[in-house]
Amino acid sequence: MATRQQRARKEKDVLADHHSQWGLELYRTMKLIRAVELEIEKMHHEGVMTGSFHSSMGQEASAAGVCCALRPADIVTSTHRGHGHAIAKGVPIIEIFAELLNKAGGTSGGRGGSMHLHHRMSGFYGENAIVGGGLPWAAGAAWARRRLGASDISVAFTGDGGAAQGVFHETLRLAQFWNSPCLFVCENNGLAHSMSTDEVFGEAGAITKMVAATGMLSHFVDGRDVLAVHAAAEDLVSEVRKGRPAFLECAVFRVRAHSLSDPEYRYRAKESGSRWLESNDPIVLMRDRLGPSDVEGIDAEVDRQVAEAREEAQAMEPAQPASALNGAYATPGLGADGAA
Amino acid sequence: MAQLKFAEAVRAAMAAELAADDRVIVMGEEVGKLGGVFTTTVGLRDRFGADRVLDTPISENAVVGWGIGAAVEGLRPVVEVMFSDFSLLAMDQIVNLAAKLHYMSNGQFNVPMVIRMPSGGGTNHGPQHSQSLESLFAHIPGLIVALPSNAIDAYWMLRDSIRCDDPVIFLESKYLYFRNSEEVDLEHGPHGFFARVAKAGNDLTVVTAGRMVQRCLEVASDLEAEGISCEVVDLRYIWPLDTTTIAESVSKTGRLVVVHEAVEFCGWGGEVAAWVAEHVFMDLDAPIARVGAARVPIPFGAPLEDEVIPTADRIAVSLRAMARY
Repeated sequence: MATRQQRARKEKDVLADHHSQWGLELYRTMKLIRAVELEIEKMHHEGVMTGSFHSSMGQEASAAGVCCALRPADIVTSTHRGHGHAIAKGVPIIEIFAELLNKAGGTSGGRGGSMHLHHRMSGFYGENAIVGGGLPWAAGAAWARRRLGASDISVAFTGDGGAAQGVFHETLRLAQFWNSPCLFVCENNGLAHSMSTDEVFGEAGAITKMVAATGMLSHFVDGRDVLAVHAAAEDLVSEVRKGRPAFLECAVFRVRAHSLSDPEYRYRAKESGSRWLESNDPIVLMRDRLGPSDVEGIDAEVDRQVAEAREEAQAMEPAQPASALNGAYATPGLGADGAA
Repeated sequence: MAQLKFAEAVRAAMAAELAADDRVIVMGEEVGKLGGVFTTTVGLRDRFGADRVLDTPISENAVVGWGIGAAVEGLRPVVEVMFSDFSLLAMDQIVNLAAKLHYMSNGQFNVPMVIRMPSGGGTNHGPQHSQSLESLFAHIPGLIVALPSNAIDAYWMLRDSIRCDDPVIFLESKYLYFRNSEEVDLEHGPHGFFARVAKAGNDLTVVTAGRMVQRCLEVASDLEAEGISCEVVDLRYIWPLDTTTIAESVSKTGRLVVVHEAVEFCGWGGEVAAWVAEHVFMDLDAPIARVGAARVPIPFGAPLEDEVIPTADRIAVSLRAMARY
């Protein structure tokens, strides 16, 4: 693990080198997440999309900073608020749109939807709509890969809400016991739906202290700063790759309501999100570091990419309703009818 | 060939698969040094190593989830949950991930994992160690539910389950573990999801599984002396359900009694009865009867438990009434 000074120096290097591919790549990834999620909101408002959607707006630096520190073969599991993680890990956005539009060409052919994006080829093992539910299989998969001789690692994202689940503590313990190369990333956005994280755990960083007390390598980072997240993730990833788990808490902010249908005005001021975004937007913060000439091209390219992906996804064949009855089992001959 | 008790057959099946396939691992509480609270893993750690027979902390949910991760990476985990009652702690990972992952990923992931669970009553373990939860698991799409009734099936069904590409809930009657021993052919055995006619008969069909099979066979033997010929069908798997064997038997006898250790209300016997009523109704000569556990927790004391779980006497009463109908 790098010392504080080393990390400060490294961050300075990264900052000084902000025209390098990393800076642009991190910016581009955040911008893509934002653009895709805004487009999804738009499609819901247009009535083109159905179901629930949990926006990660404001949290993009965490997804981009962590996932850009990974190799393609590394594994990521995620939460109900996982579109950003999927995009940052390289899941093609056209397949995400297609999944949410119930198209046969979606990541799961319309079976999964917004909370169940799975894309094995990208190493994105999947979201999980049960809070904390994505943690143990990430650690188990990383452990199994290590046994089988690979150097890959897993990243298991959770929220602050997940830190209150039993399975969070069970999995962190087991990962230490069995030295799983798994990085647990807790995106603390201050709210578990309507429950204030400050009230449950204390101020941001308290979850890191709780985990550090178990002996796990733990780090807290300002999740608005994508370079800081990336630097912290790179440090932890290199430790994890040696064969032990680690923990990273990213302090982020949930700009949107819990989900599209959430009446957030009942527990916080309706304008909380937009007000925070005005001075804390991680994308704007990074844009200011890079300079307008660097990002204008990226912005235009991302917007075009998203518009094209949406158009192509909408033109895809819909999932065949009858396909819903197949594929509950891998074993040939086992179908929905209950007979062997 | 080997003369094996049920628990020994379970152990022999794991040993055979551990020896045959490096990808097989065994995980669970007390499965290593202790060899399992019911001795089903005694000696496996010494023979195959502590990295393949792994003692776990008491964290059922995380351990099952860990197994899912190992399974999708190509290992074949056999996870022991010490008592089936404890599986309720792991229900999120079993029901929400293991059972659904293949489907909701549209086939991107398989979960070749067995979750072994000592199950049912008969050992005076009381309400939180004696449940028969097979109906609950059979209700979950994506799971296979195995409920062997004897050492031969325990051996071959477990070996099949470890080789299966889907998650299998493998329920072992702890009452049966140390009772009868049977001659088990360790080289050749039955494969596949079929029910077995444990005793042929003509007057009525008894469909049963697990621990109740032996009890039904004993009752059937007694009734033979009374001139009542019972056919006893041992389902072996609650899902997939071998409706072909059930239909053949009921069509022959015209009468059906379903006997199970699980609670009768919403038990799998209701599913068998409904299926027969829908598909073989014209062959029935009498209303279908069910004998299952009363809808109360399983009490500790043996005399109390006998009031709840079907006894030979209660089964006999039902079968006689069915024969006379």
